[in-house]
Amino acid sequence: MKSNIAAQSTLQQRDRTPAITKIVLVAVFLLGLAIIVTGWMGMREYALSGFSSEAGYDAVYKLSGDVESAWQKSLKPQLDGLDASSRAAVDEAAYEMLASTWESQKEGGKAELDEALTEGGERSERLYKLLYTTYLVNGPKVAASARKEITGVDAKEQSAFQKALLACITDENAAVPAAAEKAVGSLTGLDRQAMLMQTFFVSSGSTESRLTENANAIKKSVRDKGVQLSAFRMIVNKDVSWLWKLVVSNSRSVILVGIIIAVDALLLIGLMMMEKSWIVDFKWLLILIIVDFLLLFQMMPLVYMLIKAFTPDGKFSLETFKRLYTYSLNLDALQNTLIAATCTMILGTLLAFPLAWLVGRTNLYGKKFFRSLFVLTYMVPPYVGAMAWLRLLNPNVGTINQWIRALFNLSDAPGPLNVYTLPGMIWVLTCFYYPYAFITISRAMEKMDPSLEEASRISGASPVKTLFTVTLPMMLPSLISGALLVFVSAASCYGIPSIIGSPGRVHTVTTRIVEYVSLGQQGLNDATGMAVFLMVIAIIILFISDVVLAKRQYITVSGKSVRPAIVDLRKWRIPLTVLVSLFAVIVVLIPFATIFSTSFKNDVGKSMFEPANFTTVNWTTVFGRIETMNCLKNSLVFGAVTATVGIVVACVMSYLLQRTRVRGRKIPDFLITLGSGTPSVVIALGLIMTMKGNFGINIYNTAYIMIVAYLIKYMMMGMRTVVSAMSQIHASLEECSQISGASWLRTMFKITGRLIFPSIAAGWFLIFIPSFYELSMTTLLYSSTTKTIGFQLYEYWTFTSQPMSCAMAFGILLIVVILNFVLNRLTKGEFSI
Amino acid sequence: MATVTIKHVTKAFGDNVVLKEFNETFQEGEFITLLGPSGCGKTTMLRIIAGFEKPTTGELYIDNQLVSGGKTFIPPEKRSVGMVFQSYAVWPHMNVFDNVAYPLTIKKVPKAEIKKSVAHVLEIVHLSQYAERFPNQLSGGQQQRVALARALVAAPKLLLLDEPLSNLDAKLRESMRFEIKEIQRQLGITVVYVTHDQTEAMAMSDRIFLINRGVVQQCGSPEEIYNHPANQFVADFLGKVDFFKGESANGRIVFPKMDGQSFAYNGPRTGKVEVAVRPENLYFAEDGILEGTLEAQYYLGDVDDCRVRVGETLVRVIANGYEYKKLTNGQKVRLGVRDFMVFEDDGSLEQMLQIQT
Repeated sequence: MKSNIAAQSTLQQRDRTPAITKIVLVAVFLLGLAIIVTGWMGMREYALSGFSSEAGYDAVYKLSGDVESAWQKSLKPQLDGLDASSRAAVDEAAYEMLASTWESQKEGGKAELDEALTEGGERSERLYKLLYTTYLVNGPKVAASARKEITGVDAKEQSAFQKALLACITDENAAVPAAAEKAVGSLTGLDRQAMLMQTFFVSSGSTESRLTENANAIKKSVRDKGVQLSAFRMIVNKDVSWLWKLVVSNSRSVILVGIIIAVDALLLIGLMMMEKSWIVDFKWLLILIIVDFLLLFQMMPLVYMLIKAFTPDGKFSLETFKRLYTYSLNLDALQNTLIAATCTMILGTLLAFPLAWLVGRTNLYGKKFFRSLFVLTYMVPPYVGAMAWLRLLNPNVGTINQWIRALFNLSDAPGPLNVYTLPGMIWVLTCFYYPYAFITISRAMEKMDPSLEEASRISGASPVKTLFTVTLPMMLPSLISGALLVFVSAASCYGIPSIIGSPGRVHTVTTRIVEYVSLGQQGLNDATGMAVFLMVIAIIILFISDVVLAKRQYITVSGKSVRPAIVDLRKWRIPLTVLVSLFAVIVVLIPFATIFSTSFKNDVGKSMFEPANFTTVNWTTVFGRIETMNCLKNSLVFGAVTATVGIVVACVMSYLLQRTRVRGRKIPDFLITLGSGTPSVVIALGLIMTMKGNFGINIYNTAYIMIVAYLIKYMMMGMRTVVSAMSQIHASLEECSQISGASWLRTMFKITGRLIFPSIAAGWFLIFIPSFYELSMTTLLYSSTTKTIGFQLYEYWTFTSQPMSCAMAFGILLIVVILNFVLNRLTKGEFSI
Repeated sequence: MATVTIKHVTKAFGDNVVLKEFNETFQEGEFITLLGPSGCGKTTMLRIIAGFEKPTTGELYIDNQLVSGGKTFIPPEKRSVGMVFQSYAVWPHMNVFDNVAYPLTIKKVPKAEIKKSVAHVLEIVHLSQYAERFPNQLSGGQQQRVALARALVAAPKLLLLDEPLSNLDAKLRESMRFEIKEIQRQLGITVVYVTHDQTEAMAMSDRIFLINRGVVQQCGSPEEIYNHPANQFVADFLGKVDFFKGESANGRIVFPKMDGQSFAYNGPRTGKVEVAVRPENLYFAEDGILEGTLEAQYYLGDVDDCRVRVGETLVRVIANGYEYKKLTNGQKVRLGVRDFMVFEDDGSLEQMLQIQT
């Protein structure tokens, strides 16, 4: 009976809620609009002031407080001490001076002054405040020595001195105090009066230094433009509330907040209308938080860049593109990028497919070892690989070139192989991006039902025939999406082209973008034009692999673990094992060994074992420097913060995607996928262009901008891991816990959380590791205090010494390998990278 | 139309022996079922016949030709065998026609002939109108029939079926059972059928091989192994059965746990015995030989499932449905016994019934 009543009352509540929710949401939307309007008004006020930066405006506000206190503490008592006629004379002199100053700076300045003085409040008070400010803004003209003398005196003397000064101002014949004599010098008339007045203000006490400091800030932004009336109005006008001041000095942020509130309200209304339910779902708030973050830091920069590229001067024009793509260097870069990415894709896939098949589906010796070896390459920073190959294939001192020359008795002329060429770059790109295809393809191979192949065998097809008629066609979607992944990764890679391409003048789109960014404002526009090219490629590929291929995906995760049918290689077993080993030695072992040995060399051209060439000085120098340690700390901290925030989002998203049918859950999923598919350089460029205060957020040159960039790029790695783990756990396990009396939260922690913990840990590391050694985005976003180890390594390689950078590279590799080991232990061998 | 001869075949995966000493000949046109609980080794035997696994020891002949054993190993594609997989293994990237035509395409049969054969076999499995469809547009039962058609299209001498019906719903399973049997009768091919479903085995087979823990427990026609089980496991696996411990002496078996009640026995066994009684072979009768109290009745429509307490023992009786509620719970009843089986009680019953997983 009781429960019946309770049910009824909730029913009634539900009936009532729609109206309330609608009203509240519309109110929130209107509030957002109101905030936008307020911000817009603030922006107009701000524009009136003529300041070019928020800092200037902030200074004015700080100053206005200082002016007030100076008036109350110092000026007012002294002026009050004068008799009426003296006071009138001082006022008159002050007015004359101020008027002449304003007039000298701006036509009609005197009229403006008169207007400012009639605006209410005591005229004299306003007059002195304005005078005071004017002097602060224009700088005291008192000679430095005089100022020192003046401020050096004690309070009693100072008071006497100031009185004497005021007397001088009213009476031209009165004796000038000794300390001020130097300042006045041979000035006469109004100039003399002005100097006396200035001296008076400058001497007015302890606030001096602080006021000068503020004044400097103002001067910086105001001086060139001349003194603006409204700024002074703001200073002298006591009626301005702190809130309005806040709005004016942060008008863009206010508008942004308004837009967010309004957009969220609209989104929520939209979701509710689609759902036809007017009860606010808690999950929608989670979605909104994630969506807001991504809209702000991912979509706004990207859209802004697109707009900016097509409207360089505020009007639609293709000028930027015309200029960029008729410039031969850019054209070369474009061509190089396309050729390199295409070749890398083809080569990488041609390597990855047979490797994945041999390792996954045959009785090759040492399958497991090879598998982890190839996957491990995925975790190595590409630029480290580039460094290794540079050491090996340098036309002059490259180890392999030296071997070949010795082997074939060639002359000491450079060559025969040269890494500083397009083919050289393609080779290195292939070595480091084929694992992307390898992982995608072998995952699909493992998931394929072996009886599909057995059915072909029993139908009379040989293993090879089966490979081509059944295995390959069924894997084609995965194969293509792996290949596309290689293509887009190679096209948007910066580390390898910058290390290998730049010295050889093989430019790519990414290196051109970074070069343009370093050119400043005009460069930024051109960089945008180049970035749009990468963005378009990435979006097309994302569309193909996520929309077109996903529909043709045959291989789905089955709950059953399948034991793949193993093909007996028979007489080919040993030769193929040798071939795979050779590949592993060339692609994995030799580069790492090179890095290792180079780090112990004095002269990179000689062997590590030659006398006097072995040294540990590279290691001790690199890791003995505080700067290295700072960079390492930065990298670890940024990586950890990114991974932690990212994995929280990943868990929330997995829950929303796997356990709820809440409408709108696909929106953040889509945005996160889009973000991770966007080339790093494009993400960073977008952030540079929009996060420096021009849109109300100023995180430029801070750690935040880097963490945001890493999050956008790598969050999805964590999300996919957790999502797939959660999809393996049948919801009935959770339902069973709840039916046993555990609350939702307890169930999440005790059952789901416990079961997917290994994946959560793996997801954390999958975000952490690439963030830890990131280079492409860091190159564009770092500041002197936020340098990371990856960038430090790059600088060492370019400007300092190759052996030292090899020591650092090997250090990074060690950290990655140790982390991998920790992960393996932590998840009881279930996960390693 | 083919014979399969299995000689001393064993199979071990590492230390795990899954098949011990299999010796048998499957005759031409026979419908053979390998029956047993999951993990008993029946699928391994089938895969050895298909050529997906090599026997650890022993030899396998198809039509008196050695296909596995010693140094000889003929790969699956050369064995001319048809097979239907548990998961159907219908290729998702080919339509029904291409799936079915595949074995003929591999054999490079002329196109016109392929068309004819495929049309014929699709007719047999009632899928003629679906030739152009892709597997994802078919139901589970239809996919199953595509797999069957593909296995039959090349007119194999031997058809292997690996639990082909286990993924279908009960109704469909029943009708497919008879379709497969019908097709086998029409084509007269030898079939080796793997299942863990005893009803399926009983309905279709000429001979059933009941396997547990890699050992054939009994082989024979369905009636034979149902009515004359070789041991307690066979009796237990096929149908329902209750075991009672007793003492056989002087032409009677005495049951200590039934208050010492007894009934006549003329068989050869004496001393400790296990008496296996199928619940449907017990009936309520005024002149029954066992006396007890009716404890519960469960009405199942066609039958009435009852529990009768005889001494310390709870005995299950399956009576006709119309007898439901003719008796009341707590009432004294007498039970007649139509048939029973007597096994030696060597204390191994528990172990034998334990199913290996």
